[in-house]
Amino acid sequence: MHLTDDQLNEYLDNESAERGIIEAHLESCDECAARLDSLQALFTELESLPEAALTRNIAARFAPTPSLPAPLPKFLTLTVILQAAFALTAIVIAVPFIANLLPAIEIPSFTEVFAQLQSQWIIWLDSLSTLRLSSGQAFHLPTLPELPIVEMSSLLVTLAGVSVLWILGNGLLLRNQR
Amino acid sequence: MNAPTDRDLILQARRGDADSAAAFGELVTRYQTGVFNVCYRMLHERGEAEDLAQEAFIRAYDRIHTFDVEREFGPWIRRVAANLCLNHIESRKVTAELDDERDADPAQLPEAVYEVRERSEQIRGALASLPAHYRVVVELRHYQELSYDEIAAELKIPLSDVKSHLFRARKLLAEKLHASH
Repeated sequence: MHLTDDQLNEYLDNESAERGIIEAHLESCDECAARLDSLQALFTELESLPEAALTRNIAARFAPTPSLPAPLPKFLTLTVILQAAFALTAIVIAVPFIANLLPAIEIPSFTEVFAQLQSQWIIWLDSLSTLRLSSGQAFHLPTLPELPIVEMSSLLVTLAGVSVLWILGNGLLLRNQR
Repeated sequence: MNAPTDRDLILQARRGDADSAAAFGELVTRYQTGVFNVCYRMLHERGEAEDLAQEAFIRAYDRIHTFDVEREFGPWIRRVAANLCLNHIESRKVTAELDDERDADPAQLPEAVYEVRERSEQIRGALASLPAHYRVVVELRHYQELSYDEIAAELKIPLSDVKSHLFRARKLLAEKLHASH
């Protein structure tokens, strides 16, 4: 009498309570030994199935959401405010002195450069207005009203001061975020 | 510094602070390939397997507060995935579908690689052709190495059903794989 399929399955699964009896039978029965080999081959084949690779990273689904930057410490906030106030006061006080000093400097100011550019532009427009079309009619361009030249030195100094403050403030904020 | 254990990560994930998701993400990184392969063997469709693997981790994260930290996380999440796939198959009565891998151009693969891939696909195809309740028993026995009693407890079925499903599944697999050899 041969071993049943259940006996062979349980034997290979290490779930059999009659291993000794089964092994004794297998030694004397080629047919049952062949059936066992065949079942063992199926086990080997199933367990040799290679692992497939993921095409996406599931773990990324659980990546922490970026948190907001921590607020500035109180002492730093106070320092920035004080610095800004101090720098602004210094600029306001310095403006009249700087305005007095600027004309003494030989470097052409922005105002002069602007005035030169404007006069060049007007000369060019005038030369255009003297052009004659082939029909003989004179070509008239609309005249450009002269722009009032604004004294800009004080404005420039103020802008420069504000820029310095802006850069300083951003630098402090970025340093704190690191 | 030693890498944190699974237990450490689970405890951290439970805290609910800013690092919780990152701790659970580390657990996912450790086990995602294993869990995906459970789903892939059960479903035989890559995209669906990845979706179900992700779903298994989401469910695990939702239940992380009730997880017994003295248990091993890896075997537990693989069993969660197997059950999830079983429910999924039964809910839509999935049939074996061709996967992209089986359509790969064999001329582009070295012969040995092609043969291994071809045989793997035959095994996956044979597994996918089994009824869902046979498939899950094969998964739990052969790939998760659970005992008959553990399978019965996991699937909440009698021990006699575990044996009959498993033995019939093997018979069917042997026939299909022998025929395709």
